[in-house]
Amino acid sequence: MQGEFQNGFKCADFDALLAEAIDGTLTGTQLMRFEAHRESCAQCSLLFTQARAGYEWLEALPEVEPPVALVKQILAATQETARAETVARHARQSWTERIRELLSAKVRPVFAAVAQPRFAMSFGMAFFSVTLMLNVTGVRLTSLKHVDLRPSSLVRGYYETTGRLVKYYENIRFVYEIETRVRELKRAATPEEKPSGTDKQQDRKEQNRGNDREKKYENYSREDSQPYLATTGNGLQDVLAAVRRWS
Amino acid sequence: MDDAQVVATLVRRCVAGDAAAWEDIVRRLNRRIYNICYRFTGSGDDAQDLTQEVFVKIYRTLGSFDVEKGSFITWVTAVTRNLLVDHFRKTKQDRVTDSLDNTGAEDEDLLPLSEQLADNGPSPDVRVHRRETQEMVQQALQKLSPELREAVILRDLQDMDYKEIALALKVPEGTVKSRINRGRVELARLLSRTYRQVM
Ligand SMILES: [Zn+2]
Repeated sequence: MQGEFQNGFKCADFDALLAEAIDGTLTGTQLMRFEAHRESCAQCSLLFTQARAGYEWLEALPEVEPPVALVKQILAATQETARAETVARHARQSWTERIRELLSAKVRPVFAAVAQPRFAMSFGMAFFSVTLMLNVTGVRLTSLKHVDLRPSSLVRGYYETTGRLVKYYENIRFVYEIETRVRELKRAATPEEKPSGTDKQQDRKEQNRGNDREKKYENYSREDSQPYLATTGNGLQDVLAAVRRWS
Repeated sequence: MDDAQVVATLVRRCVAGDAAAWEDIVRRLNRRIYNICYRFTGSGDDAQDLTQEVFVKIYRTLGSFDVEKGSFITWVTAVTRNLLVDHFRKTKQDRVTDSLDNTGAEDEDLLPLSEQLADNGPSPDVRVHRRETQEMVQQALQKLSPELREAVILRDLQDMDYKEIALALKVPEGTVKSRINRGRVELARLLSRTYRQVM
């Protein structure tokens, strides 16, 4: 091959720089040696001409417009994929796995909230209502004289009773949470039927009813109880002060 | 925020289950993916199906994309390219043997919208000539081996740099450049032959 070793610049070196040469990004010595080789090597010169022609042909190809419906189609296809995968995963899972998944995804935050000392304390305060405590322990106000009113036993009684109550309340709350999540899961797993015509309103009604139910549980477990607990918080201070006065 | 950061944010939101973020990703990328598929397959219908397939694949594997590690565009291009290669293996080049002069009006809707709508653009003669040229180049592109074809599409039609292409195709940069050179050269040879026949 003629010119193969000219200036120590081989055809392979020419090849390696060819793409950049067509980009127009070669400069300085590299460009000079590239050009010198091109002029002296017929084969490389032809390669250069053809590569540049190919590049120019490709320039003639414009960007094409995707079909107008493409985005909608893609979104529908991915939605369908998501739904199918959820159903398939649930079909593969045993009941225990599903419950575990539910617990880990949705209920863990509830546990975390209940486990907070401040929250547990407010439960304690909430149930430190003398009437409630007496009712639960089966003591009637009329037979109060039989109750040991010494401060030490009163305090012990308080902690035992409230301890039981807190546990009871947590369990109830937990059950409601599970019920709500299971309902959500059922709704998610059931293939959504496309509402058509008159069914639409009916569907919406159904959904609203569902939402109302859900709201009720939410109210029970969060919105209603917490402010109540907060306001009754002072009660404990009063009782403890009274106990201190007695002792 | 530059484009890459915007996309990275969208990906994070999308992985967290944000449907609006996914729609945004689809709107930003569908044109690009469709064009790669169209130029690779030479068929509007195939490009449409493949683009949809690419997005389903992206959707299912989005969680495996590492936002910190590389460009989302490169990752998406790699997914696209892999599906195109699969498609190529399945259909094994039955269209390539088509002669250059049997493309017709069915591809008319694939011209750029601006060109279809332009009233005061080039004269009808020039437009017809341009369209014939485009069809010829597309046909010639179809005759390149998939390795050369994908290289010139990503470089000359998608304007990706050598490094990005190397990452998407998982080959060294030197190989990318060599494929681009060979692709361009072969295309020119094919077209000079065709041109002599047609003209
Ligand atoms: Zn040479």
